[in-house]
Amino acid sequence: MNRNYFILTIIMLVLAAGTFFIPRKSLQQQAKPSKLLWEIIQPTRYVSTDQVAKMIIQKDPTLELIDVRSADEYNKFSLPNSINVPLDSIVNEGGMDYFGIPGTNVVFFSNDDIKADEAWVLAKRLGFNATYVMKGGLNRWIETIIQPKEPAEESPGTAFESYEFRKGAQLFFTGAKVEKTTTKKSKIVVRRKKKAVVAAGGC
Amino acid sequence: MGPLFPNGLISGDWNLVIAVFIGFGFGFLLEASGFSSSRNLAGVFYGYNFVVLRVFFTAVIVAMVGLLYFNYFGWLDLSKIFILPTFLPSMIVGGVVMGLGFIIGGFCPGTSFTAIVIGKLDALVFAVGLFIGIFLFAEVFPYIEHFYYSGNLGHVTLTDVTGISAYWWAFGFTVIALSAFWASWLIEKKVRKRIKEYKF
Amino acid sequence: MHVHELNPKKTLIALLAFVILLLAGFFTMHKPLLTYKLDVKQSLAMLNNPDACFQPWQLADVLNHKDKNVVLIDIRDKFTYGQGHIPGSENISAFDLTKKENIERLDGFKKQGITVVLYGNDQLQANGPWMFFHQVGFDNVKILLGGYDYYHAHKENLMASKNDQSYLKGKARYDFPKVAAKSGSTAGKSTVKTKKPVVIRRKKKAVVASGGC
Repeated sequence: MNRNYFILTIIMLVLAAGTFFIPRKSLQQQAKPSKLLWEIIQPTRYVSTDQVAKMIIQKDPTLELIDVRSADEYNKFSLPNSINVPLDSIVNEGGMDYFGIPGTNVVFFSNDDIKADEAWVLAKRLGFNATYVMKGGLNRWIETIIQPKEPAEESPGTAFESYEFRKGAQLFFTGAKVEKTTTKKSKIVVRRKKKAVVAAGGC
Repeated sequence: MGPLFPNGLISGDWNLVIAVFIGFGFGFLLEASGFSSSRNLAGVFYGYNFVVLRVFFTAVIVAMVGLLYFNYFGWLDLSKIFILPTFLPSMIVGGVVMGLGFIIGGFCPGTSFTAIVIGKLDALVFAVGLFIGIFLFAEVFPYIEHFYYSGNLGHVTLTDVTGISAYWWAFGFTVIALSAFWASWLIEKKVRKRIKEYKF
Repeated sequence: MHVHELNPKKTLIALLAFVILLLAGFFTMHKPLLTYKLDVKQSLAMLNNPDACFQPWQLADVLNHKDKNVVLIDIRDKFTYGQGHIPGSENISAFDLTKKENIERLDGFKKQGITVVLYGNDQLQANGPWMFFHQVGFDNVKILLGGYDYYHAHKENLMASKNDQSYLKGKARYDFPKVAAKSGSTAGKSTVKTKKPVVIRRKKKAVVASGGC
């Protein structure tokens, strides 16, 4: 037997054994830190209370509302068809069952938007896309949908349109009776100055 | 870097060009290993010449170990590698048919072409038979189509099927391969009378 | 049989080339600049730590240079920073903060025990970056509650904000069940408000001397 064959055999065995010492990549697919920060900086994750109201009213099937407050607060009041996943229980067994269902858009909300944003960052780190945060949370929900404020007289037409939408949404969510409103954009009156009488003749 | 084509690093045309060069290399290596001789090829089955076993098993273990290391270095993304889908019964039958052809003809498809290049006539006949066989298969395909697609296990790897991690498989195959090399050397020494040991 | 069947020298050379290739791979591997130091569970626990928040009234000590262990960083863009910022703060956007030089600075701050306070327009803007920096291991990064807006409104009297809780977020400001109750109550008085009619007055066209077309 040739000495070189021994060397060859030993080198090959060492290489193969070396594969055992290769560090395994972590089991959970987590987002790379640089990628995570890039996603954090984008403002595209915020949805307004108007958009959420619209989706609820239109019974958008892709909408999945997740309330990240505690169970007590959830039981006292929450948005229709929302699921309660308290922020602290995201890492527990089954905490993430509601994320990552293909075809659904998850919208996090809380009293304000800080807790929801925190939930969003953690979900993003764990690799869940199609997640959003309702800006302003339930406080803003009350201020815009449940108790919409009338726009001032000088506000642009769009403010009036969104106010009308919010009044409708308020009806939808609270079932309140409505009084006839006569808020209409009134006609624009154009007053022409009388043309001076031109001496007829010529062109 | 990963596999070049799925990662978009090269276009489909460059993919073909590189494939041609890989083909050149493969043909060169086959001929250099002595696979153009049907005695070497069929020797595995008759038990007097194990060069096929040694060459291909070496390729297997170097590739296994190398891929795992490359994956660790970041030079390759193992999750993007194409894995052939496993159709269990049809693949077993195909293996039996090919083994029969191998022993009877003394060539396998790729080596028959390297043998044609060096001028062997029996390899030429083998290649003609190859094409006739392909034609016949295409003709009877509608009848065996159902069997052909049966038993689809999907794009599974040994790790998926058995749950034993890839590192154990690499090490296990290396051990088996190295012991097979030594065993085959011993057998050859016994069986072949005039073996010349290469001294350097 | 063929002489080249038994050729250990060439095989040895080939295998050594392979080993050298692998060694080259080992030595050219570079560690990524940022890796997670806290796992998800620990990140969650960090969120509940009140120590990681910087109260507005603590700014008073920083601004009159009593507290030298605090560095303020404004993560907004240059334009907004130019419009108004907390005096003494640096303008580094969250993305620039991950560049190599800045990471080394943050490392230095951490070793010296200096606290880094991030702030944006409000707490929400700085929330994401603050969480991120904790997760990659910089536990000396704090977030300014209330953001720049609160500071700007109260900058004359920061110490008074010790008793003010309005900058704390996360509390319900309304009694939700009561306010949003589904009932037959009226939806609030709607007065007859109309948009002010817009009057357009045309300017008098100057009388041009007619002559020619």
